Amino acid sequence: MNASKLFVAGMALSMSATAFAAGAHDGGHGHGATSGEPGKASEASRTITVEMYDNYYEPEEISVKPGETVRFVVENKGNLVHEFSVGTPDMHEAHQEEMMMMVEHGVIQGGKLNHDMMNMDMGNGHSMKHDDPNSVLLEPGQSKEVVWKFSDKGNIEFACNVPGHYQAGMYGEVNFE
Amino acid sequence: MKPRFLTGLLSLLMPAMVLAGEYDLTVDRVKIDTGDFVKEGIGYNGASPGPVMRFKEGETVRINVTNNLDEMTSIHWHGLILPFNQDGVPGISFPGIKPGETFTYEFPIQQAGTYWFHSHSGFQEPDGAYGAIVIEPEGREPFRYDREYVVQLTDKHPHSGDRIMRNLKMMPDYYNREQQTVGEFFSDVSENGLMNTVRDRMAWGDMRMMKADVEDVHGFTGLINGKGPDQNWTGLFEPGERIRLRFINSSAMTYFDIRIPGLDMTVVQADGNNVQPVSVDEFRIGVAETYDVIVRPKDEQAYTIFAESMGRSGYARATLAPEKGMEAAVPQLREPARLTMADMGGMPGMDHGSMAGMDHGGMDMGSSEDMSGMDHSSMEGMDHSNMDSMDHSNMEGMDHGSMTMGKEDKSDPFYAKGSGLMPKAANGGKFLSYADLKAQDPLYEDREPTREIELRLTGNMERYTWSINGVKYEDADPIRLKYGERVRFKFVNETMMTHPMHLHGMWSILDVGAGQWNPIKHTINVNPGTTVYMETEVDEPGQWAFHCHLSYHAAAGMFRKVIVEGGPDSTQAKTDAIAEDGGEV
Repeated sequence: MNASKLFVAGMALSMSATAFAAGAHDGGHGHGATSGEPGKASEASRTITVEMYDNYYEPEEISVKPGETVRFVVENKGNLVHEFSVGTPDMHEAHQEEMMMMVEHGVIQGGKLNHDMMNMDMGNGHSMKHDDPNSVLLEPGQSKEVVWKFSDKGNIEFACNVPGHYQAGMYGEVNFE
Repeated sequence: MKPRFLTGLLSLLMPAMVLAGEYDLTVDRVKIDTGDFVKEGIGYNGASPGPVMRFKEGETVRINVTNNLDEMTSIHWHGLILPFNQDGVPGISFPGIKPGETFTYEFPIQQAGTYWFHSHSGFQEPDGAYGAIVIEPEGREPFRYDREYVVQLTDKHPHSGDRIMRNLKMMPDYYNREQQTVGEFFSDVSENGLMNTVRDRMAWGDMRMMKADVEDVHGFTGLINGKGPDQNWTGLFEPGERIRLRFINSSAMTYFDIRIPGLDMTVVQADGNNVQPVSVDEFRIGVAETYDVIVRPKDEQAYTIFAESMGRSGYARATLAPEKGMEAAVPQLREPARLTMADMGGMPGMDHGSMAGMDHGGMDMGSSEDMSGMDHSSMEGMDHSNMDSMDHSNMEGMDHGSMTMGKEDKSDPFYAKGSGLMPKAANGGKFLSYADLKAQDPLYEDREPTREIELRLTGNMERYTWSINGVKYEDADPIRLKYGERVRFKFVNETMMTHPMHLHGMWSILDVGAGQWNPIKHTINVNPGTTVYMETEVDEPGQWAFHCHLSYHAAAGMFRKVIVEGGPDSTQAKTDAIAEDGGEV
């Protein structure tokens, strides 16, 4: 019983740590790379629609300018749960461990998200909500927006960190103009 | 819901658009050099293994097979969905191909993925008559890779298949070098006491089997793409590339546990059908199965592909490297597996009274009610490593009521509980289970089966007879199915050996408890002491083979003919005509 409490709390804490790292604060994910910070929709220079299929994106690469704010409209057109997450390969790798736990907890079940489990109060304001500003986690048919302000040039990918999906090639490249 | 129906319709409407590929294969006597020994064998186009046949989904293939042997031959396209008279099983699909004759196969390619082909005549397949099939899909793959390699395994034995079968019939433990010794008896006595040890040995004697019967044919050299461990087949890569490895187990008798130390493998396909990707450290490939994995070596170094036989009596080895000639360390073989009492859980007529501690709880997996081990809410295999240095002070009062925690049991529900065959990853990591296989894009809609057929897998090791429901092939009536029904097969393994059951012509929907996401396969492993369910949509008319794919088990009688009655047209008459034509199986 005790181990379980510790474990879940640990997950909630580590997930907020990722959100922090994903921001502009250079959160210790090595190589000093950051992917940017949450943007304001009013500052977005353009909208890019990204469609998610089983298990790949369309398009599989985009071009942005350093410092550009982009409004992504992300649509899940597949039959499985998918994620759209902006980050460096190291950030994705760290996030994949959390996503694995979400699968093991039954939060992600093939084509469904268990919202009760996601919203469950873990105490102290933590939950397994997937609410980092650099990513969205969508059930089939869902569509959501991510507004992101890219920082300098860097090794940035958008990726699906549902277990196995990134490894199978569900990622897209962000090229800086 | 059935893409292949659509494809068929399109090809009728637009015959001009259909690609037609023409291919030639010769069946030849060849020399096989494993590095350990050189022997005469059988191959295709002058070599064993034969060529990789590359087809494209949607094309119609014509394959001219010329028999240069002085005996009958045949080619079976393992896992391909095709008209039954193109399936290549002598005596069931067609009479076979006579010496000197050319037979032309012609069939539409209605699927994509990794498959293989082999002779279905006598022991030509163990003697070398096999090759790979790679089918490119019409659309894009649901995964990405920069390059690909076929990795085709076999267990090459210095003896011919005929000789092995003769020896097994005469002395079933002829090829078993792992027999328990007198020394082992005394060490067991000191550990377990004399009476327990004697009782254990007597129980095994009653079953006509021994603990060491994990593999009944030892003494082989494991080959990858025709190369022995010292010949070291090597696939090249550039660091950072994603490589698709198409593993095919073309062994006569041997299961392999496969790992690539230093690399995660993401399984994306099983038996030619895409599965939801799952990353593993190691996986077991049954005889006749295929698994496609994606690996991504990031460093400028060599990696060993290491394939240990399930019983640890031999191995195959190959290398992935940035340059020819580079190699990595080759691991040692692990300790041989020993069967346990759990592995004989299915044996009927045994006195279980003296077997305290036997647990049958894990035996009846496969039905959805019993899949407690697969519940996503159970927390097996979790990594607690990132919990260190957390502040635990404010965690009182959290409600975790709905979580089943604390289950450290990593056992695979497709093995008997306590089985000596239970696989474990060499690095302590993730070992693929059937329970991990979920269809990427289910081919069939889930529906209630129309009926259940129980198939007990049976045998007597002392006489080397292998059978289904206690009856061997030559004495058995065919299994009759009706076109359009969905049959649930219940495999009950009453032997101590693992049997890879292969139904020709129609998919085997393996029940992993995932409902509509259950994966479809062509070969289903049934481990000792377990019951496994599969369902089949009976959607191909004609008659088909259904057998254990261990060569010497199939030949000894663990084999059935399946007749599909009815169909979309009058194919039944043709079936009956061919049935009388005879030929060997």
